[in-house]
Parts: sequence; C-alpha cells; structure tokens
Amino acid sequence: MKVLRSTLVWPLVALVVLLVFNAVASPGFFHVEWKDGRLFGTVVDVFNQGARVPMLLALGMTLVIATGGVDLSVGSIMAVSGAVAAMQVNAGAPMVQAVGAGLGLATLLGLVNGLLIARVGLQPIIATLVMMVAGRGLAMLLTGSQMVPFANRSLTWLANGSVGGLPVPVVLVLGLAVVTGWVLRRTAAGLFIEATGDNEKASRLAGIQTGGVRLAVYGFSGFCAGLSGVLEAANISAADPARIGDTRELDAIFAVVAGGTALTGGRFSLAGSVVGALLLQTLTLTLYNQNVAPAVAPVPKAVVILAVCLLHSPRLRARFGKRTQPVAA
Amino acid sequence: MNRIFASRLLPLMATGLVLVALFAAAGAGYENFLSARVVLNLFKDRAFLGVVAVGMTFVILSGGIDLSVGAVMAFTTVFLAKVIGTMGWSAPVAMLAAVGIGVGFGMFQGWVIHFFRIPAFLVTLAGMFLARGMAFVVSPRSVEIRSAFYDDLGERGVPLGEGLLLTVGPLVYLVVVAAGMVVAHGTRFGRNVYALGGNEASAALMGLPVGATRVGVYALCGGCAALGGVISTLALSSGDPTRGTGLELDAIAAAVIGGTVLTGGRGWVFGTFLGVLILGTIKTILDFDGSLDPAWLRIASGGLLLGFILLQKLIARQSVS
Amino acid sequence: MKRQSFLRVAGLAAAVSFSACKPSGSGGGGGGGATGGKLVVGFSQIGADNPWRTAETESVKAEAAKRGIELKFSDAQGQQEAQISAIRSFIAQGVSAIILAPKVETGWDAILKEVKAAKIPVVLVDRGVTVSDPTLFATLIASDFVAEGRMAGEWLVKKSGGKAGIIQLEGTTGAAPANDRKKGFEAAIAGSPDMKVLASQTGDFKRSDGKNVMEALIKAHGAAITAVYAHNDDMAIGAIQALEAAGRQPGKDVTVVSIDGMGFAFEAIKEGKLNCTVECNPLLGPMAFDAVAKALKGEELPKQLVQEDRLFDETNAPAELPNRKY
Repeated sequence: MKVLRSTLVWPLVALVVLLVFNAVASPGFFHVEWKDGRLFGTVVDVFNQGARVPMLLALGMTLVIATGGVDLSVGSIMAVSGAVAAMQVNAGAPMVQAVGAGLGLATLLGLVNGLLIARVGLQPIIATLVMMVAGRGLAMLLTGSQMVPFANRSLTWLANGSVGGLPVPVVLVLGLAVVTGWVLRRTAAGLFIEATGDNEKASRLAGIQTGGVRLAVYGFSGFCAGLSGVLEAANISAADPARIGDTRELDAIFAVVAGGTALTGGRFSLAGSVVGALLLQTLTLTLYNQNVAPAVAPVPKAVVILAVCLLHSPRLRARFGKRTQPVAA
Repeated sequence: MNRIFASRLLPLMATGLVLVALFAAAGAGYENFLSARVVLNLFKDRAFLGVVAVGMTFVILSGGIDLSVGAVMAFTTVFLAKVIGTMGWSAPVAMLAAVGIGVGFGMFQGWVIHFFRIPAFLVTLAGMFLARGMAFVVSPRSVEIRSAFYDDLGERGVPLGEGLLLTVGPLVYLVVVAAGMVVAHGTRFGRNVYALGGNEASAALMGLPVGATRVGVYALCGGCAALGGVISTLALSSGDPTRGTGLELDAIAAAVIGGTVLTGGRGWVFGTFLGVLILGTIKTILDFDGSLDPAWLRIASGGLLLGFILLQKLIARQSVS
Repeated sequence: MKRQSFLRVAGLAAAVSFSACKPSGSGGGGGGGATGGKLVVGFSQIGADNPWRTAETESVKAEAAKRGIELKFSDAQGQQEAQISAIRSFIAQGVSAIILAPKVETGWDAILKEVKAAKIPVVLVDRGVTVSDPTLFATLIASDFVAEGRMAGEWLVKKSGGKAGIIQLEGTTGAAPANDRKKGFEAAIAGSPDMKVLASQTGDFKRSDGKNVMEALIKAHGAAITAVYAHNDDMAIGAIQALEAAGRQPGKDVTVVSIDGMGFAFEAIKEGKLNCTVECNPLLGPMAFDAVAKALKGEELPKQLVQEDRLFDETNAPAELPNRKY
C-alpha cells in the first residue's frame, strides 16, 4: 500500500505544478461560482470534461494494462455505444433502456476483444486494432455515417445535469472509480489481475483462471468506453459515429502510465490513473486559456509529458534521496 | 536441429503462404488483379511504410516501442521542403541532414529511455508531440518541393518492361529490408538486440552493452523514420506537416503481423516485409472492389486482417502437430 | 448492392481462410472491371469524417447510379498516400475516368503524370492542386475556402458595426479548409481595428470539441465575447450549446457565424441561435459527372468551374430551409 501511495505522488506533483502555473498565468482559473443551482468554473470543467472521456477510458485501460495488455479499440467502442443509445431514444425507448443497450453492446465488443486474446491467443494490440477498425465501421453502418441528433431530456441530463451542484458525469465516474477500487481491494480480483500481468504461467499454475481474468478486464474496458460514448453523445445531444473518440486511446494510455501503472503489467493504481487523466485535462484547458496556437500546442504537451516521465525516473528519484523501486522500461 | 529450425521459422512460412493465398484468391475474384503493375504498386505505394516498419521491428525486438515515427517522417518532409525550397540547400545535403536529424532524435529518445529508466511509450509519445509540433512550426501547410534533383531522381529507376519502372523509393526500401536482415541476423548488434528484448537482466549479466544497444535501436528507428520521410518526398515532391498520422500503428501492425512479438526478443525483419505487403494487399483488394461504402470498408478491412491472422495461426499450429 | 459486395469481400476472406482452391469471388456478379460496356469511374475520397463529406460522397454515388455508371469508391481515411495508391489501383483496373478530392494541394505531380500516361481524364473536386503542367487534370470543381472565410468576416463586420470580441473555432489543424477559412476571415476583419480575435483554438471540426473549447474560453474571456466564428456548422452548434449552458444568449448577445450551410444550421438560424452560415455545397456529383462526360468526349473544359457559394442569415435562411438536401 505504501508503494501505491508513493507512485501517486509524482503525477500529483506534476498536476500541482501545472495548477500553480495557472494560478499565476491565468487569472480566474480557480474562480468557481454558483450559477443556476450548479458549480461553474474552469476547475469544474477540468473534472467534467476529464471525467467524460480520459478518466473513464483510463479506468478500464488501467486493468487491461495491469494484465500486460492494451486496448486500442476504446474510441470506436465509444462511437458504437453513443450511436446505439441515440438511436434507441429516437425510436422511443426510455433513457435507461437506451443507455443499457449502448453499454450492453459496448461490453459485448469488449468481451470479443477478450475472447480473441484469451482464447484465440492473439496479441492484444492486434486484436484491439481489428476492433478499432471494424468497430468504427459498425458505428457508421448503424447510423448510415450520419450524425444522430436526439431531443431526449433525460439522456441529455446525463452529461449536462447536476447532482448537488456537481456535474452528473463527475459523480458517475468518480463513483465508478471508487466502487471499482473497493471491489478490487475487497475481493481477490485485484490480486488476480496483477498476478496475470506479472507472470501468466506462474499464475495459471497457481490456479488462477488467467483467461477469465483477461476476458473480464477487456469486458470492463468495453463497458467504460461504452459509458464514455453515451456521455459524449448526451453532452452534445447527438451521436457522432465517424469521429467521436478518435485517437483518445492514446490519452487513456497516457493517463494510466503517468499514474504509475507500468505498461509491462503487474501492479496498478486506479487513483494514479484518475490523477493522470486530470493532469491531461488540466493541460488541455491550460493551452486553451493561454491561447497557444493549435499548430504549436503539441510542443508544450510534449514538455509536460517529458516532465512527468522524469518525475517517474527511478534514477532522478534516487538523486533526490527518495526510495527507489524498479520500473520496467 | 533441423526440426527446431523449421519450427522456429514456421510462423514466417505461414505468413508467406497466406500472403500468396490471399493474392491468388483476389486474382481470381477481380479482373486485372494478377498483374506486374499491381505487384509493383504494392512496393511503390508503401515504400515509406516499409522502411519505417523495419526500424520499428528493431525497436520492438529490443522490447520497446516508438510512437514518434509518423511525426518524425512528417517533420522530415517539411524540413526538406523548407531547406531545399526556401533556403536553397542542395537536395542530397538536405537529405543527409534530415536522416542525421532523425538519427539524433532517436538517439536522444533512446538515451532518455535508458538513462532515466522511463517507459518507452511515454518518451516516444512526447517525441511524437514534439516532432509534430516542430513540423507545424516549420510549415503550417503543405509545401511543394521544386528541385531539378528531385525531378531527375523521379524519372530514374530499373525498367521492368511494359513501361513499368522500379523507382528509387522502392529500391531504397528493398535495400533497407536486406540491410535490416543482415544487421538483425548477422551482426553482434543484432544479437544484442534479440538478447536485450529476450531478457534485459540476463543480457546485462552476460556483459552485453545494454545501454549502447538501446540507444542504437532508437537511433536506427529514428533514422528509418527520417528515411521514410525522404522517400515520401521523392514520391510526392512535397512536404506536409499532417503526413504520417497513424503511421506508427501501421508500422507496429506490419511488424506484429509478420510474427514479431510485442514483448520483444522474437521476430524477423523479413516477417515485417511480408506484413507490409499483406497490409498493402488488403487495401488493394478493397480499392479493386470499390463498391463498399466507408462503413463496410472498415468492417471488411478489420475482418480481412482478422481472417488473415487466424489463418496464419491455424497453419502454424497444424504444422506443429 | 452494398451488401452483396460486402459478401464478395467476405467470401474472399472465407476463401482465404479455408484455403479453398476455387475462391467464390465471382459469385457476387456485376463488378470486376469494365464488364458489359458499362462506364467505370474511380472516385478517391479523402475520408468519411464529417457530415459534409458524407453528403459529398452520397452525391457522387447517387449521380453515378442515376447515369448507370459503375463507381469504384475509395476512402483514404485521411491519408494522401492512400489516395495515391487508390489511384494506382484505378489505373491498374483500367477505369475510364477518375474523380479526385485531394487532401492537400501539393504532391500530385508524379501520380497525375501516371494517370495522364494511361490516358485517363481526372476531374478534381473540393480544392485545386499545384502541378507543373495544367493539362494533368481536366477541370476543377471547387468551392473557394478563402472566399467563404472572407464572406463570413465581411458579414460579421457589418453586423457588429465593426466592433466585436471574437472567438474563432478552427478546423482540424493543418487541413486546407481550416487554413483558408482562417486566412479569408482574418483578412476581412483586418481593416477594422475594433474587431478583435480574443482566442483562436481548434475544435477539430467536431461538435464535441467545439463545445469543450467554447466552455473553457467562456470562463477565460467572459463578457468580452460578443461573437463566435466557427470553421464549420458542427463546431458552431457545439459553441451554441456551451453558450446556453453558461447563461448567454447565442444569436442575440453573442453573434454566431459559421460555414458549410448544412440543414441543421438552417434550423438553428430559424430558431434564432445561429446568425449566419456561408454555404459550401457538397452536392458536386452532377457537375462532376457532367465534366467527366465532356472530358471523355474530348471536349475542352474550363480549368475551373467555381461553385457559387451563398450566404444565409435570418433574412433568407427560413425560405431556403425546405430546399436543403443535406
């Protein structure tokens, strides 16, 4: 547990540095006001926009990466679930049924990834690459490649409403993170996931159903991506099958790795991933606020990523007299 | 001994077999598919990808990954356009400089990865943003390259009859593949790469130069990415900061389809060569069909890729038993 | 038709998968080169990434079907190299003509020379190309992106009386329409010193990104924002949603201007939330095939057939709404 806490320190440090920069450079960054029964301000946006995509995707991705895998298909699965939910409400289904259908199909696609990896034995990057390409096609096929606007108030509320002044996505996603973390810690599931990522053969010999573990984490990743897709569609009252979630898998992987989970699998940190996602979203909004020209925006982004990298470096940490721990390259 | 050798090369043979089967099936299904021109196009259209994928193979063999290749390629194309077009450098000098920059950039990434022990994914992701940003700084829009050297080089090549010409780009590609095979299987550096990817700790215990090998691998990959950019400008006579988006995924896919294992230590440069051809063949089939809408096109290309990999696995498994 | 063709590809995959000796490729019937004297035309499209492009693709497909022309469609998914390889496949198949929507202006010299050597006429749509030899293509049917940006800018100067705090939502970084619409707009407002662009950020031509960016910029610039200029209708709709959520009144206290003229933009104008949209007509199919027919007969075509782009605001949009086909 100590180790868990110590990996969390570094993305937090990066986040704090970025926030301090904003406190100095952009007045009003921390200004939060109460407007129409809800909190309103840039910090709220960081949480709200961050929760809808990078945080949700990173939750599922954390477990996938902990088993030594990766899921490139999350963006396409977002497109599928958003499209299904939008078409369902347009066909007159109630919100819960529409969201359920979207999440169900998304989870199913995640399970297909899991099957291809655990049962057929494909490399995760290839299995999910196939899903990334074909899943996008499926979303476009369902919608005839058109945007699907809808006017269902309760579905729109999922992304635009508020609970106790907080945006619904923030409550939903943080709740999901807490529940997931609690379940993984209370049951042996977390241990099984780490064991699978650490040494699959040894885990299997120890009686862990590694195939089942893999199936479950890809299913969960599909579920998270599905929820993200539904929230993104709800946010703009329309499903955008062709472009939604495009390249967001990189954001998710970045959040996970920045949060201290090694790409080679094994030990993971959900809290770290949440902080990693917040870091990413803060960076994005900082660039908007500073009006950095979009063409050169990748450069400061690279600098922040490098800074996070260096904070993760065991060698640098050793120099600062902190306890070191092996980190796989 | 013979048996062991054969079983190790099985996936490679299966890959080759499936490629031939795919090509034959497409040839029977579509008119004009089985022609010298289509085969030549496979090499012409993806020479840049092929070169980049060879570099990527080395990185993956060493147990790493390089996400920056597409951005480095894009930077190279606008860099060439800038220094040749507006600054008046001679084209060969500019090309050498571009490849030098790629090698230097790769070396730096390798050094950061090794010295600070940071995941390659993060370092090269930063490298991708950095190189892409610099490409936009050099030129925010696509620029053409007007140079006598380019015009001249564009018309040179090995004539293959029927008016077909093996141009410089694909020639360089074939040379890079051959050189890559020699380096991977016939040099100390190559053996070190395999050892490093197989097990870093034991490679270090055996006294192999782990640091130098890792830096070398990323330098090689950066150089290949820049060379891919040079080839791209040869084919298009232009530079474009948006070129090569998603190229890293294509390169990784080509390597993995060719039997290189993402965790390192196992794979072949020649397999990657086959992987690039397979990706190209799938795309050509879809272009020849030409009646799928964008949705079915994506489903079909995912399906073909999956079908291919399943078949490859099936053949490899059948032959073992 | 679509389904049947997919079955063909699927059949091909199956044939490969089971290493059957006789692939079922010919089972689909119809296609496969220039059979039965049917005219075959190749169409290389950039991608399928937004409603505008989908409308353009549909227009070309529908027109081909209407004229009984077999269309070979290729979606390059945003990669110029993929467009070039598609054109090479078209040549290998022996198509009669090629319609090309080029991703960028440069880099087409070599491939268009190959096309010319194969004596296949090329009709460009969307935007022009810079080539050494103007005979490399038959004609260009295009909208003028710079002019669209300029029209939007001039309209905004007039509407706001030469004084506005503007948020510009740019298209995908590096994309030609984004570059040109920015250039045209900024040239149009350059003469009015009180027209200030407060921030110019990319919304990637997406509705969701338009909303996210706008949400952030509302907090950063507050009441100073009096106008929004979006490079496409989708981002404008996203910005309108963000403005409403922040308690502003888009269309009234914030003037919203965009480009494309999609159907949903007309509805937004009718509701009073969007002030103006500059049309960029994607329905190029009929003009493109007219040009193809003339080129195949050997007729000389003017090098450029400019699409007349009109501007719609609350005065003329409601009347036009029923006629919108995309």
